[in-house]
Amino acid sequence: MSEKTNEIKENILEVRHLKKYFPIKGGFFGGVTGNVKAVDDVTFSIPRGTTMGLVGESGCGKSTTGRTILRLLEKTEGEIIFNGQDISTYNKKQLRELRTKMQIIFQDPYSSLSPRLPIGEIIGEAVREHNLVPKAEFNDYITEVMKECGLQEYHKDRYPHEFSGGQRQRICIARALAVKPEFVVCDEPVSALDVSIQAQIINLLKDLQEKNNLTYLFISHDLSVVEHISDFVGVMYLGNLVETGATDDIFANPLHPYTKALFSAIPMPDPDIKKERVLLEGDIPSPANPPKGCKFHTRCPHCMGICKEQEPKAKDMGNGHVVRCHLYDK
Amino acid sequence: MSEERKENIAEVVNDEAAKDEKDGKGIEVEFKLEMHLDDANRVRVLSPGMMVLKRFLRNRLAIVGMFIIVAMFLFTFVGGALYPYSESQVFYKTELVMKDFAGATEIDQFQFQTADGVELPSDINSKALIAVSKKKYVFETRGGEMLGLIPAAEDSDVFLVYALEPTQLFLKGNKEFDSAVKAGRNDFEQDGKIYMFNGEDFKADVYEATEIAVASKRSFTGYSKETNFSYDFYRNSLVAVATKANSFEADGNSYNISDGLVELNGDAYAVVSNMNFNAIDSAVFLSPDYKAAALEAFETSGNSGSFEYADEEGNMVEYRFEKKTGQYTIKKYQDSRLIDTYAAPSKDHLVGTDANGMDLLARLMYGGRISLLIGFVVVFIEVFIGMIIGGVAGFFGGWVDNLLMRLVDVVYCIPAMPLYLILGSIMDYYQASPRARIYLLCVIMGVIGWVGIARIVRGQILSLREQEFMVAADALGISTYRRIFKHLIPNVIPQLIVFASMGLGEVILSEASLSFLGLGIKYPAASWGSIINAVNDSYVMTNYLFVWLPAGTLILLTVLAFNFIGDGLRDAFDPKMKR
Repeated sequence: MSEKTNEIKENILEVRHLKKYFPIKGGFFGGVTGNVKAVDDVTFSIPRGTTMGLVGESGCGKSTTGRTILRLLEKTEGEIIFNGQDISTYNKKQLRELRTKMQIIFQDPYSSLSPRLPIGEIIGEAVREHNLVPKAEFNDYITEVMKECGLQEYHKDRYPHEFSGGQRQRICIARALAVKPEFVVCDEPVSALDVSIQAQIINLLKDLQEKNNLTYLFISHDLSVVEHISDFVGVMYLGNLVETGATDDIFANPLHPYTKALFSAIPMPDPDIKKERVLLEGDIPSPANPPKGCKFHTRCPHCMGICKEQEPKAKDMGNGHVVRCHLYDK
Repeated sequence: MSEERKENIAEVVNDEAAKDEKDGKGIEVEFKLEMHLDDANRVRVLSPGMMVLKRFLRNRLAIVGMFIIVAMFLFTFVGGALYPYSESQVFYKTELVMKDFAGATEIDQFQFQTADGVELPSDINSKALIAVSKKKYVFETRGGEMLGLIPAAEDSDVFLVYALEPTQLFLKGNKEFDSAVKAGRNDFEQDGKIYMFNGEDFKADVYEATEIAVASKRSFTGYSKETNFSYDFYRNSLVAVATKANSFEADGNSYNISDGLVELNGDAYAVVSNMNFNAIDSAVFLSPDYKAAALEAFETSGNSGSFEYADEEGNMVEYRFEKKTGQYTIKKYQDSRLIDTYAAPSKDHLVGTDANGMDLLARLMYGGRISLLIGFVVVFIEVFIGMIIGGVAGFFGGWVDNLLMRLVDVVYCIPAMPLYLILGSIMDYYQASPRARIYLLCVIMGVIGWVGIARIVRGQILSLREQEFMVAADALGISTYRRIFKHLIPNVIPQLIVFASMGLGEVILSEASLSFLGLGIKYPAASWGSIINAVNDSYVMTNYLFVWLPAGTLILLTVLAFNFIGDGLRDAFDPKMKR
């Protein structure tokens, strides 16, 4: 892993100051009374062929970030640069071509498969739609993709209801990979699966990454999974990316108080290790009405006066380890 | 792809068939076919549609419903085509009904039979009546002619009519004259000539009389229609009647007469009676025998009674008569053609006939066609409009959704019954044909009923749109067309089918109630509802169960069956139900 991080690689994706606000409509005339700031000024980049893990508690804007990057949601502000081009301004036609380059794998393998289509159709639909392979090779291609993802050829004629959760997730992966994407957003792909299946799916994703030189944005709240699969990690809190950096750096030396608290919750398989839990008080504030200054200051154990006034700026602590916290102001 | 799938399934089936064949032959063939857990042939692959069908077929109630509906279709469409009677064919029955057959009137005016070449003055009738009542048998007509009447016998109403010529005759001491005066007569015979006089003494005017006619209150009927009676016959027979003689001679023939029946050489020849008979039907010839029989009955039974008389085939037919104001009315049981209303179920009409004499079974068949047709057409219209409006609202959302849903709200607020009533009366006013009424009814019911479906489709599509597979389709760049028709519609169809099959029953019911209220299908077209309409008469309801009970039962069964099927489909589509 360290080899990869040390190499200077071209960034397949760069996200700059991405914002996604959901307007709150209210009042008699349905005017906009406020915004839910789901993603509030997020900046990061992913080198080709690597995996970026995105962690944070529920509702912090991880999934919204992923979907906004794919333009399944329209951004409010910012730039999404994919392969050197700002895709956030793409028109419909360009977007259609882009669909084969970027894909998404969903959390819930049950609702993400249309119950009325056979598996072969689900996987092959987009391939046919975009004419990715000649008609004569279509069947073989689908079979190949399915085998790659650990599915049998005869599964083609079956329907989603006949499969277990793990198999369904494989189908989802096959569907995403069938269009030969370069970049895949994995939106908590294993959270709905049990642990043994999780491992299978994670390993499958890793294998496929190596084989096809894929780049993943791996969204998860499961830190151990993220540690296992990611080259880089971004920690999100209330729409902000509070800390980014190489996985090893962050896990070894978390800087942001939120990251520390988060990582202290990782269970250790060794009962002898006495861990110091950092307990956070209070609930995550509403993203519709986030606190002034540092968004984390309401729960931060190291809260200072400046935290309540000023939003912290991103600071590179070396080796690409970026943190947003007034503790590191100098 | 799907074709290939079918082929695969076909292969599997073929394999199984081959296995069965081998087993069946009893040859011990060792199967090297090993089954693996992930063997494609181990589990028959069922598409969701097939699974639904399988689950549906396991639902007994649904199957019963299916059977009923199939039976209904066979009954109404095939049955209607095979059944010999049509929907609006009116049936008649012949029934024996006491009907007026003939009338008989006592003759109260003189009938004059004249000698050849004689013409009587026009006022002879009244003059003669006055003369008879005053017993002044010599009288003058308006034309100045002198006429005289001489009774054929004492106290008889048969008179001989004479033309009188004034003559000079010495009456004083005339024996004949004196005896005539003594007897109160106005005539006497002398020297083979007949004289009549006016007065009581010898100064009376004397006339020489020439017989010109015979007056009587009798009529003659010959046994043969062609019989023509001569004056001689009339005169002599009437004289015979008056003198109560048993025989008379006329035209050289000798006739016997008794009780008014004239016989010639032992054969009945004519009847003389004081009754005038008229048959109601002018084609009917009343024979003298019949008249004689009737007259006898009149005499013996008084004012009312009956008699029998043989008809042409020799069967005795009963006739009843009644006397009212001097007139006899003869009645007889006669075959008459009547509309066969409310006939009870029989061989000819298995369910009987209705108030208009139409075969109820035929009407049930044709009415069922209309009821089912209306059901399907209305539901089709509802689904068509509802799916488009609900689908557009759900898929596009935003202000489109808002606008369309407000439209739905408005349509929901339209009070259906008053609207139907108004439209029904408008159709009445323009005298819409029964067929046009059916189409209009379909359109109106469809246009009012689509809102429920629109809401269901919209809700379904709204929820489906947020499903992750729709987001995935978006992410995969699937075209809008495919997203709607391959991903959304197939997932809405189950709800639609369930709603439609339930709606079918509802529509048939409301059609029935509209027809019952007289707003829907009108006579002579039939629908189950309009057949039941007959029950608005409580007499019919209690006495002619067969008129409305079958139609009611058919409606009940059909609606029930559609509900069973709807329930069955809903359960079958429910993915939570076990395989």
